[in-house]
Amino acid sequence: MRRRRRTNLLFTAAVAAIFLMAGSAGVLANGEDNSVVVTMPATSEPQSGFDPAYGWGAGEHVHEPLIQSTLVRTTKELGIENDLATDYSCSEDGLVWTVTIREDVKFTDGEPLTAQDVAFTYNNCRDNSSVNDFTMLKEAVAVDDTTVEFHMNTPYSIWPYTMAIVGIVPEHAYDENYGQNPIGSGRYIMKQWDKGQQVIFEKNPDYYGEEPKMDKVTVLFMEEDAALAAAMAGQVDVAHTAAAYSDQVIDGYELLNVATVDNRGFNLPCTEPEEVDGVIYGNAFTSDVNVRRAINLAIDRQEMIDHVLNGYGTAAYSVCDKMPWYNAAAVTEYNLDEAKKLMEEAGWEEGEDGIREKDGQRAELTLMFSNGDSVRQALAEDSANQLRELGIDVTTEGVGWDTAYDRAQSDALIWGWGAHTPMELYNIYHTIDGSAELSPYANETVDKYMDEALQTSDLEESYELWKKAQWDGSTGTVQEGDIPWIWLCNIDHLYFVRDGLKVADQKIHPHGHGWSIVNNVDEWEWE
Amino acid sequence: MRLNQRQKAKGLLVFAFIFLTAVAISGYFCHDAAMATDFSIKNMPPCLKYPFGTDWLGRNMFYRTLTGLSMSIIIGICAAGVSAVMALLLGISAATLGKKADSVITFLIDMVMGIPHILLLILISYACGKGLKGVIVGVALTHWTSLARLIRAEVLQLKESEYIQIAGKLGHSRLQIAYKHMLPHLLPQFLVGLVLLFPHAILHESSITFLGFGLSTEQPAIGVILSESMKYLIMGKWWLALFPGIMLVLTVVLFDVGGNSLRKIWDPNSVHE
Repeated sequence: MRRRRRTNLLFTAAVAAIFLMAGSAGVLANGEDNSVVVTMPATSEPQSGFDPAYGWGAGEHVHEPLIQSTLVRTTKELGIENDLATDYSCSEDGLVWTVTIREDVKFTDGEPLTAQDVAFTYNNCRDNSSVNDFTMLKEAVAVDDTTVEFHMNTPYSIWPYTMAIVGIVPEHAYDENYGQNPIGSGRYIMKQWDKGQQVIFEKNPDYYGEEPKMDKVTVLFMEEDAALAAAMAGQVDVAHTAAAYSDQVIDGYELLNVATVDNRGFNLPCTEPEEVDGVIYGNAFTSDVNVRRAINLAIDRQEMIDHVLNGYGTAAYSVCDKMPWYNAAAVTEYNLDEAKKLMEEAGWEEGEDGIREKDGQRAELTLMFSNGDSVRQALAEDSANQLRELGIDVTTEGVGWDTAYDRAQSDALIWGWGAHTPMELYNIYHTIDGSAELSPYANETVDKYMDEALQTSDLEESYELWKKAQWDGSTGTVQEGDIPWIWLCNIDHLYFVRDGLKVADQKIHPHGHGWSIVNNVDEWEWE
Repeated sequence: MRLNQRQKAKGLLVFAFIFLTAVAISGYFCHDAAMATDFSIKNMPPCLKYPFGTDWLGRNMFYRTLTGLSMSIIIGICAAGVSAVMALLLGISAATLGKKADSVITFLIDMVMGIPHILLLILISYACGKGLKGVIVGVALTHWTSLARLIRAEVLQLKESEYIQIAGKLGHSRLQIAYKHMLPHLLPQFLVGLVLLFPHAILHESSITFLGFGLSTEQPAIGVILSESMKYLIMGKWWLALFPGIMLVLTVVLFDVGGNSLRKIWDPNSVHE
């Protein structure tokens, strides 16, 4: 519905008539050429503003920061390509990263972007970031105007994935209010931010890369039901939505589903229970590896996807399906008979009520989900139904995040993960003081591979080590290994897109149904 | 057949009592059925087999509604019971323990009444860790004020009456007087007040659960049902909100009717109606 150039009065009148017939709502969203209105969940609004040090782009949900530019960026295959950087390299010992940057880049206030700004940005993130881990960085030093060196505390081979999400801020215009009025060198300029409602971006006319095709991007923050209502009223061009709403047909809109690594899975504590400081660590039932393997076998992922996600999802076998560091050995086909056999072998015999028992202990498990998340609740309920077939009595319980972390040390909790960095494997499986942080688990070999992966100086080489951490032929985190987490599915991100809008090809989305969709909004087009 | 007011009141009272007991008991017994999920029957509109339809997890909304109401009624009884006993004790002590106690208790009543009910409820429930305990403590601690004030006024009036004065002159202790001469007089007031507290308690339980500060979301509480249904209303799934909503209103109205009937029967002023 792009507005054509005026040729004569008659034509204008005709256009006006068409607009009137099309309904006033349609005009509202497309009042200007080349603008787009996108909805996002209210939780996507950056609470602390558009400052990378406080989680913008580099937070819990990673995405390209749009307003600022990054040194490198991730490709569609999730490799790394240069953005601001012209070249980067890592020293043999992995302790110094040297990055050269372009000379021709200016911030939107006209000042040039130099290596000084880069060093300032990273040192600032290291000192202040509360959401992302920068502890491996000792210091960023600007050697000259176009060269910056990162001195590391420990080797960190996947540093480029960090460089892909940290937006460079101007040292001369940075203060505590930066997040409210961000200045960057990225594709878009933030024009207006009405907190709790919307953010308006306009394209940066001096952008050093390819000129953005979309002139204006308006992001509205609202819940899924409100987004659906807005799409029904024709007020938005892209409305995020959930599987529950996916069978709605809206005139003038089509459903777009984007593949993701936005996975859901649950942890199974691998140790015997013991109490430390009032928190119980471990679970007697799931500490048996055969029980965990049986559970993994008894999950029918496709059925779950059809039931809960209306088919909009893919089976997940790891935290990083489809990523370059994913080990396909994780794939485990549904096999209930095999699962039952495993339980029998482990000594869990079926009792009178169909629930298995061993030495008088019932096969019981509490599966928690975060309150108010209907998809996680449905996944928990469906898992419970499927595991009942195996003879395990699963109780589901809604919990708040205030207590969930402590309780997950002894019970299963539905989690959502998925990021464009292998660090997630480390966060989930690597031990800190003898046990993994989120759910009790320890495997020295797995730890060793991940430590080695971080210490290599070559990114490609590190992928192989990350894969070995998952399964090296004899041990790992997959079915034949320790299987400390059960992965269920990757949830497709769904959007209602107005007919005529060409949303550019998407990278595999990470966890978080928000900003990822507009990663490449500059390449979107109206037909 | 023409019934007089008292007969009508009795009839209504019996009906309300039977209905509410039936809901409470049947809800208790279908608790497990209310939690069961079956994805093959999700999002079914009302039909003979599922009179209230099913939700997005394929749960039977009829069982969920019954269980939700029964939980509400039980929570209501607990909370209103505690609240009423508090009201009775505080009301009597305010009136009998002298000026200082009276001013302290009146101050307490004014303070609790001065804070918006729902706000105080949320605060208390949150501080108690939400869940069943939070809701019961929250409702119990916020609903005693008006009844306490009523009882205090009643006791103040009683204190001036001759038989109480005489009992005092004859050497009865204050406690003895309160127990032997005042309590029987207050009992009808107290019981009616108690019953009339239920609807408030139930509504407040559902509202804080609706707002997410009460029972956790896998529970079939009426507030949870209603807040979940909000998300699906836009898709035209009207049955998720309508039937549970009507049942909640019906329950509350029946408690109210029951309480008012009780008052009519016990109140000497309406004996001849």
